[in-house]
Amino acid sequence: MKKIYISMFVLSVYFFSGCSNDYLDVDQTESISTKDIALFNNDEGATTFVTAVYSKFLEWNMTSFSWIGVSSIASDDADKGSSPGDTGSDKDVMDALTYNASSPSTSEIFSANYEGINRCNQALNIVPQLDKANPALRTRLLAEAKFLRAFMYFTLVKTYGGVPIIDHLPNPSSDEDRIMQLTRKTTAEVYVFIESDLADAIAALPNKSEYAASEKGRASKGAAYALLAKVNLYQKKWQKVVDNCNLVTGYSIVSNYASMFRLAGENDAESIFEIQGTGSVPAKGIQGYSATQGARGAGGWGWGFNTPSQSLVNAYELGDVRKNATIIFAGTTLYDGRIVPTTVENPRYNYKAYSSAYTDAWESDINIKYLRYAEVVLMKAEALNELDQTPAAILLLNQIRKRAELGNTTAASKADVRIAIWKERRVEMAFEHDRFFDLVRTGQAVAAFAIDGKTFVAGKHEVFPLPQAFITQANGLSTQNLGY
Amino acid sequence: MRNFIFSFLALILLPAYMSGQVIKGKVLDKNGIGIPGAIVVSPSSNADTDFDGNFNINASVGDVLKVSMLGFEAVSVKATVNPMNITMLESEDTALREVVIIGYGTRKKIDNTTAITSLKAEEISRTKVLNASQAIQGKAAGVQVVSSDLPGSSPSVIIRGLGTALGGRTPLYIVDGMPTENINNINTNDITSYEILKDASALAIYGTRAANGVIIITTKKGKGDGVTVEVESFVGFREPLKKVKMAGSNKYSYYSNSALQTTTFSQDQPVNTDWFDAITRTGSYTQNNISVSGSTENIKYFFSLGNYQEKAVLNGLDYNRTTFRNNNEYKISKKLTLNQNFSFGLTNSNPKPLSAFTNAYKQSPIIPVRFSTGQYGVSFVGNDGFAGTTGSSFNNVGNPVAQLDFFDEEQKSIILQGGLKLDYEILKSLKFTSQFNGEYYTWKNYNFEDTKNIWLAADPSRTESQYSTTANVNLLTKGRNQYFNWNLSNYVTYNEVFGDIHDIELTGGIETSIKGAREQLTISRKNVNEDSNYWSLSGVNEVGNVTNYTDEVFNETKLASYFGRFQYKLMDRYLITGTIRRDGSSNFGKDYRWGTFPAFGLGWVVSKEDFMANVKGINLLKLRGGWGKLGNQNVPLNNQAYSSGLSSYLGGSILYQGTTINSQVDPSLSWEITEEASAGLDFELLDSRLKGSFDVYDKTTTNVILNTKPYITSGISNSSPAHVGEVSNKGYEVALRWDDKITDNLSYWVGGNFSNNTNELKSLKDATLAPINGGGLGNGQWTKLLDNTSIGKPLGSFYMYEYAGFDPENGKMLYYTAAGTTVFQDALDANKDKKYTGSILPSSTYGVTLGANYRNFDLSVDGYGTSGAKVYNGKKAQRFSGENIEESVATNFWTLNNTSASNPAPFNQVPVASTYYLESGDFFRVNNISLGYKLPLAENSFLNYCRIYVNAINPFITQKFSGFSPELNGNGDPYGSQGIELDAYPTLRSLVIGANLKF
Repeated sequence: MKKIYISMFVLSVYFFSGCSNDYLDVDQTESISTKDIALFNNDEGATTFVTAVYSKFLEWNMTSFSWIGVSSIASDDADKGSSPGDTGSDKDVMDALTYNASSPSTSEIFSANYEGINRCNQALNIVPQLDKANPALRTRLLAEAKFLRAFMYFTLVKTYGGVPIIDHLPNPSSDEDRIMQLTRKTTAEVYVFIESDLADAIAALPNKSEYAASEKGRASKGAAYALLAKVNLYQKKWQKVVDNCNLVTGYSIVSNYASMFRLAGENDAESIFEIQGTGSVPAKGIQGYSATQGARGAGGWGWGFNTPSQSLVNAYELGDVRKNATIIFAGTTLYDGRIVPTTVENPRYNYKAYSSAYTDAWESDINIKYLRYAEVVLMKAEALNELDQTPAAILLLNQIRKRAELGNTTAASKADVRIAIWKERRVEMAFEHDRFFDLVRTGQAVAAFAIDGKTFVAGKHEVFPLPQAFITQANGLSTQNLGY
Repeated sequence: MRNFIFSFLALILLPAYMSGQVIKGKVLDKNGIGIPGAIVVSPSSNADTDFDGNFNINASVGDVLKVSMLGFEAVSVKATVNPMNITMLESEDTALREVVIIGYGTRKKIDNTTAITSLKAEEISRTKVLNASQAIQGKAAGVQVVSSDLPGSSPSVIIRGLGTALGGRTPLYIVDGMPTENINNINTNDITSYEILKDASALAIYGTRAANGVIIITTKKGKGDGVTVEVESFVGFREPLKKVKMAGSNKYSYYSNSALQTTTFSQDQPVNTDWFDAITRTGSYTQNNISVSGSTENIKYFFSLGNYQEKAVLNGLDYNRTTFRNNNEYKISKKLTLNQNFSFGLTNSNPKPLSAFTNAYKQSPIIPVRFSTGQYGVSFVGNDGFAGTTGSSFNNVGNPVAQLDFFDEEQKSIILQGGLKLDYEILKSLKFTSQFNGEYYTWKNYNFEDTKNIWLAADPSRTESQYSTTANVNLLTKGRNQYFNWNLSNYVTYNEVFGDIHDIELTGGIETSIKGAREQLTISRKNVNEDSNYWSLSGVNEVGNVTNYTDEVFNETKLASYFGRFQYKLMDRYLITGTIRRDGSSNFGKDYRWGTFPAFGLGWVVSKEDFMANVKGINLLKLRGGWGKLGNQNVPLNNQAYSSGLSSYLGGSILYQGTTINSQVDPSLSWEITEEASAGLDFELLDSRLKGSFDVYDKTTTNVILNTKPYITSGISNSSPAHVGEVSNKGYEVALRWDDKITDNLSYWVGGNFSNNTNELKSLKDATLAPINGGGLGNGQWTKLLDNTSIGKPLGSFYMYEYAGFDPENGKMLYYTAAGTTVFQDALDANKDKKYTGSILPSSTYGVTLGANYRNFDLSVDGYGTSGAKVYNGKKAQRFSGENIEESVATNFWTLNNTSASNPAPFNQVPVASTYYLESGDFFRVNNISLGYKLPLAENSFLNYCRIYVNAINPFITQKFSGFSPELNGNGDPYGSQGIELDAYPTLRSLVIGANLKF
C-alpha cells in the first residue's frame, strides 16, 4: 500500500514538475484555430474562403424572408399574402410601406450583406497568404471575391443609398477603421467602388464556358460585364450600358420561359449568375425560400407569403406565357401534376419559388436567377432607346416578347418604347427581386404604387431606412435616410 | 452524522491492537437514549457506537475504557463481562458538538470564521424529491433554489446573489472530493452532510471555481459494529398544484368571433375538450433503497442500492434512476488510512416536449382529441361553425395529444464516480492526504420522428398518395455523449498547540483538475424500419440514408493549482484564518491564465471571555468577518476560430466547403473576479434553545464578461466577450431556531431564515454591448434585455412596454410612450418606449420550519417563499388568433356594452411584450409536511426500527401569479426562459407514503 501512496505522490509531483504553463496548453478541438492557417495553404483550402461567400447567399437573412419583404412584398408585384393574422414579423408593414428603422426585414438585409462583404474581405486577405495554392487559381478566386463584393454593394446602394465602404478587414483597435465602419459614403462613391471591383473582376475572371460543369455557378467574366451594365443602367450611363451588354457573350435566350425556373433550367444558356440551391442530400438551398412562399392552408405546403398582386396579374397581356409560369393560381394543376386546391388561403402564389421535388423543404433545389441574358437584352434595349436608337431597341424588345409568345410591340416613339421596355422588364422579371428597385430607378414608383393602392412618398421611399442599431453605433458619424 | 466524521478522524490518530475479549455495551445520555458515534477506547483497541449507542470492543475485563464524544464530558469506566451501560453527561458547550467541513479539511464549528451552512442528512432526505438541492430549498439563508418538478431537471442554486451574466452560474459541487456540476446522480439517502460555503473567506480555497459558491457533499460510511441493513420505500402521487381555468367551447367561440368580427364559430359547440386534462395524468413515483453498512476493526463499509421511478404528470413522460454506492474505509496501518468510494448512477427516461403544455393552453376546446373518424383533432372549422376534418384552418397550434403520441424519445445515461483518498500520519501533528477522483459519464438517446404520419395527422384530408415521394417517411436521430473528468489533490495538514493557548493549523497543497473533452456524436437517418428492433441491423451500410452526422469533441480544460491555509486560535477565542490559492487555467491566453485568490477571516468567541462568564442566558456569542477574492473560470472562451460549414454547391453535384473568420477576439480575456467582504454573528441563548446567526455581505464582481459587438458594418456577426461590467450583490441573512422540550415525551422546534439581496449592474466600461435580448417568446417578442442601458438595474431584468389600460372607445390596448402619452401598439417606438420593469431575481427569500416529536410520532413542516421577483405570463402573451383564452378573460372583456371590463377587446395581432403580461412572482409555499410514526419495537428483535410516514409535498401555495407556478426555472438562464411561464412544467403537489426499516 505504501507503494500506492508513493506512486500517487510521485504522479502528482510529476504533473507539476517543469513548467506548469506547458501543462496548461490545451489544443482546440471544437473549432479550427485561426493560428492554423497552414491547413488551408493549398488549392482546396484557398477555394473554401470564396465558397463561403457564395454560401452567404443561401442564408436566411441574406436571400430569404427579409429579402423577399424588401425586394418583393414592398413592391407592387406582390402582397404580403399568408393568413391575415400572420404578419411574418413585419411583412405587413413592408407591404404597406410603413416600415421603420427597426423593422427586422430592412435591418437584416443591411447586416447580411455586410456579413457577405466580411467574407469577401477575409478571402481577399487570406488567399494571397496561401502561397502553396496555384497562383492562377488564387487570382481567379480574388476576382470572384471582388465580383461578389460588388454584387453586395450594389444591393446595399440600391436599398439604402450611400453606405460605409469597408474595403479591408478593420482592426478593432484602429480609430481610422472605426470611422471607416461608421461613416456613410455617398451613392456616387459607392458606385465608383463597385465599378472598380468589377473592373478588377473582369480582368481576371474566366468565361462561364471555361468553368467545369460542377462550377457553372461561379462568377464569370460575363456575369461581371452584365452586373457592370446594370450598375451603369442605374446611373443612366447609357453608352456604357450598351458597351458592357455587348461584352456579355456566349449566352442566349432559351425557348421555353417556364423551363428556366425548374430544376432542368438551372444554369441554362440564358443564365448569367444565379444562386445555387440543392435539395438532395446533403441539402444546401436558400433557407426557407420555398417554404415561406409555398401555398398555405389545406392542401398547401408553405407559409403563403409574397403572393402575386392583382396589379401584376393585370400587367400581363393576353396570351403571355409568362403569367402562368410566374403565378400559381389556386385551383390549378402544376406542371408536375400537383393539384393546388381552392382550399389554400390565398388566390395566387409565386411559381418561381416552387420546388417540385422538395416542395416544403427548408432548403430546396430552387435557384434565384439574379442575372440572365433576357435582362441584358432589355438593358441594352433601354439604353439604345435612350441613345435615340429606338428601332434597334424595338428589335431587342421583340426578341423577348417573341419568347413569351406575344406579337411585336406596338410602341414606336422613344417615349412609348421606354414605357414598353419598363413594362416588359416587369413581366419578364417578376419575382426575381428587381421590381422595387426598378420602379425607383425609372421614377415610376409613385404612380405604380398608387395603382396598387399604396402610398409611395417621393423623397422618402426611394431608399429603405438604415438599421437604427447602425445609426446608434455611428453616434453622429452617419445620419438616417430622409423621412425615417 | 457530523460526529461520525469527527470520530473517523479521531480513529486515524489512535493505535489499534487486537487482543483481549469482546466487551459489549451501550453509551447513553442522561435520558437513557443511545448516543451514536461516541468513541470508546480500550488500552488495546478502539470502537465507536452505532446508531443506538451500542459498541463492541476488544478489551480485557478490568481495562479502563475511555469514552468520549463531542459535546459530552468524557467518561472512564472499567470494562465488565456483562453488557455495560455507560451514561455520558452533556458538556456545557453545545456548539462544540458540531464540526463543519471546509475545503481540504474540517473545522470545529466554533472555531470556524466563515459563513457555512451545514445541513444534516435528515433535513435533506425529509422532502421526497430527486435532487438534494431541491430538498434544501428554504433551509439555508442566502441560498436561493429555483427548482422544477420536471423529472431529472436540475435546480438552479444561487448563493448570495447572481454575479455573472454569461459565465457559469452553478455552484461548484464537491462530492466526496470530486468537483462536479450536477448532483442528479447522487441518491439523497446516501448523503450524510450537505455544506454550503457562502462567503469569500470560506470559498477562496477553491479559487477560480468558487465565485458561485461551493457545496460540499459527503456520502455515508459504515459505522457501528455488526451489520446494519436499512430499507426505505415510498410511493407518491402527484398532481399539478394549481391549474389555469380555460374558457370552454362556447365562451371560446364567442370570444374568437368577436376577435375575428365574424361568425366563424358556432355558439353551441358539441365538443368541449379540456386539453390540459387530455395531456396529463395523475403522476406517481416510487423510491426503494436498501443499504448495508457496518464496520470491523479495520474496515468500515457502506453499500447502498436505490431506485427511483416516476411516471410524470405529462402523459408518456417516464423517468427511472438506479444508483449504487460503495464507500469503504481501510485502516492499513496505524498511520495509514485508505478511503475508497465508488458510485454508479443509471438513468433511463422518456422525455416529452414541454411545449405540449403551451399547446394545451392555446388549443381550442371546440376540437375533439380525436374526430369520430379516429383521426387526431385539428384546428379546421367547417361552415357549420364546428371543428371538423375539413374546413379552414383557424390557428397554428398542433394537437397536443398527437404531439405527445408522436414524440418518441429515450435517453439513457450512466455516470460512474469513484475516488481514493489516502491519509498518512507522518507525525502526530503532521498529516499528508492524497486524493484522486474520477468521473465518467456516458449518455445515449434516440429520437424517432414518424414524419409521414405526422404530416398525415396534421390534416385529416391528406392521403398517403399525396405524400412527397422524395420526403422522408421517418427520421431516426441517435446521439452519444461522453466525458471523463478527474481531479488529483495532495496536501499536508499541520496542527499543533503551543503553550496551551496557541493553536495553529497549516494546510498546503497542490491540485490539478481536468475536465476532459466532451465527445458528442449525433446521427440522423431517414426511412428506418418501423420496428425499432430492426433499427441497427448487422452488416447494413446506412450511408445512403444518413441525413445528418455530427461528431464533436469539445475543448478540454485543465486547471493547475496551489493552495495554502493558515488557521490560528488564541486562547480558544481569538480566531484568524488566512487562505491563498493560485490557479492556472487552460481556458485563457498564456499571459493571462494565472491568478491569485487570497482571503482572510477573523473570529472572536465573545462568550468565552471572562467577563461573559456571569452573563446568564448567553451560551454562545461569536463575531466573525472576512474578506476574499474569488474567480469564475467558467466564462466564454476567446479562441479565434475559422467558421466552417459555409458550404455551397456551385452548379453541380459537388458540395464545396466554405470557411471564413467571423469573430474578433480580446486576447486578455481571463476569469471574472469577485471580491466579497462579510461579517456575521452566531449566538445561542437561553440554554441553547434559541440559536441563530446574522450575516451581512458586500460582494462585487469587478470584471464581468459581456459580449461586445463589433460594428454591424464589420460584417462580424459573432460578438466578442470582454471584461466590461461590474455587478454588485449586497445583502443580509438571518437564521433563527428555537428548540425546546415540554415534557420528556414532547419536544418541538420552530425555525426560520430570511435573506435579502440587492443585485445591480453597477457600471459598464466604454463598449458597445451585443445586447442580450432575452426571454424570447418565439413570436418575435423579447421580454428581457441586457445592454448599455441596463446600468443600475438588476441582472435578469425585464424590458418591455408599459401597459396603459385599453381605450374605452374600442377596447384596444394602450401603452405608455417615453413621453408619457398613451398609444396603440403600432405607434410604439421600440427604441424609445420600452422600460425596465423589474427582474426575475427576488429581493428576498425566506424559509420556515417547525416540528414536534410526541412519543413515537414526529411531525415537521417546511415552507419557502420569495418576494420581489417578477414573472412573465409567456403562454398567455404568445396567444394568437384562433387560440384559446383563460376563462377570466373570456368572461370579462371589453365590448361596446362593457367598456369597463378588466380585459381589452379581443384582438388578433401578436401582442407586444408589455406589463399586461408581467405579474408578481411573490409566493409562499408549504414545501413539505411530514408525519411519521415509529413502531414500538424491541431493540434486539430482527426488525429493530420501523418508521411509517406520510408526506405532503407542496400541499399549499399562496401566489399572486395567475399562471400555473411562479417558480419558473426554465432553462436556468436569467436571460433565457427563467421567470417566464412558457413551455413550463407545472409545480406539483405530491402525497407520499413510505417506511424506513432497520434490521
